[in-house]
Amino acid sequence: MNRSRPFALAGALAAAILVGCNSTPARGPECALPQGLDLDRALSTARFDLETGCEARFGAYFQRLLAIAEGDPKKANRARFSEFLVWANEQGLLSKRQARERYNRYFGVKYVSLVGDYSVCSQACPHRPQVLQDMKQELADKEQGLLKVSADPLSYHRASRLFQETELVLEATCTACGPME
Amino acid sequence: MKTQTNRDRSRTPGSARYLVTCALLALPMLGQALNRAPTIKLFPTTVLEEIKHTGNVAKEMETGLQTVIGRLDEQQKLYGDSKCEGNEGDPGCEQIARQLGKSYLEMLDIMADKLPAMEMAVNTTSSSLERRIRKELGQKKTPWTLQELLIGEGAARKGAERPALRGRSGLRLSDRFNQYYKLVAHSGGQVNSSLAVIASDIYLDMQETSRLIARTREEISRATLMEQLNQSFGTITPEMQQVVAGVKAILFGDQDDAAPLAAPPATQADKEYESPLQL
Repeated sequence: MNRSRPFALAGALAAAILVGCNSTPARGPECALPQGLDLDRALSTARFDLETGCEARFGAYFQRLLAIAEGDPKKANRARFSEFLVWANEQGLLSKRQARERYNRYFGVKYVSLVGDYSVCSQACPHRPQVLQDMKQELADKEQGLLKVSADPLSYHRASRLFQETELVLEATCTACGPME
Repeated sequence: MKTQTNRDRSRTPGSARYLVTCALLALPMLGQALNRAPTIKLFPTTVLEEIKHTGNVAKEMETGLQTVIGRLDEQQKLYGDSKCEGNEGDPGCEQIARQLGKSYLEMLDIMADKLPAMEMAVNTTSSSLERRIRKELGQKKTPWTLQELLIGEGAARKGAERPALRGRSGLRLSDRFNQYYKLVAHSGGQVNSSLAVIASDIYLDMQETSRLIARTREEISRATLMEQLNQSFGTITPEMQQVVAGVKAILFGDQDDAAPLAAPPATQADKEYESPLQL
């Protein structure tokens, strides 16, 4: 009995070491945002990470990609982001509506802040300050997408002008609609 | 507030003949505008006629006031040049001040006489436009279709010619209405998008003008009484100067605020990328 004890201890130790090694959790994705200046490389890194467990950080990846694209602004970048968002939709990371909204918020001239099915009097006028605030924020995103990423000042100026005109027309229309009950 | 100089006045096209000529020139365009009726009806003929009428009433009032305001400017200059400020006891200064006061009363009389017609014309036009804007833009449009209207169909493909917005002051009242009339009447086949902006601009301008006129009317009787009292002392009050400046601002515009509301139109240089996600 006593002679068998050292063997038992050694066996237990070996087993413990083996179990210990096996129970080290598999390394999850680090979800480290893409680095560098190359948009194509950053896009493929982002795709890989987003389909291997980092989908919760989609927004942060998207922002980083925009920041990288700012380093080499050109009209073709718009298509890259469109393809990326279509891919995100196909992977189930974003719904079609979310993909559309995100694309148009940054690269469209029209304002997704103005989406709505009810009349201007009943939908936009009761919340006009908030609507304009949202549009202003969206204009800042368009500045990044259209001007800094896509190098498309004409589209950005159209968006800017649309904001000014909408502000004026909403002021007049909401005054004409009168106070809402 | 900036006052109008003689040079400013001499630059302004100042005769009824000018208005008539403009109206005659605009009539064929109006015909075109009516033939190619826009899908939103912001400017039916009645509203156009009201705008024209308001311009005529404003012109009439300006013509009546121009002489007396010119005289006021000269008298005020003489008062300043004679170093009368702080020297009110001087008989010469008192005389200038009384003459100035008389001109001021004359101006108030003319205003009291003409303003009701002006107010009525402005309010009638404003109410008509209000109804059209409420119906056509407020009730028939969603926020999304409103922006589609503003951006204009096909605006992404061709550079749309848009009217330069001139803000809500900086011109004589009559010239403003004359310009409105021409803008709308000339808009022809363009441009529901521009019409919505023009209608909004005119409507807000009229609301502001209407408020100013109402305030001025309220002030006139009080100012008249005050000035009748001041006549016995021969002084120029700051209030007098303010009222004159206010009248000038309404009628002849304030050049300091003449900045345009929006940037110049943008044009598309080359073919746009169209994403499948494009809204």
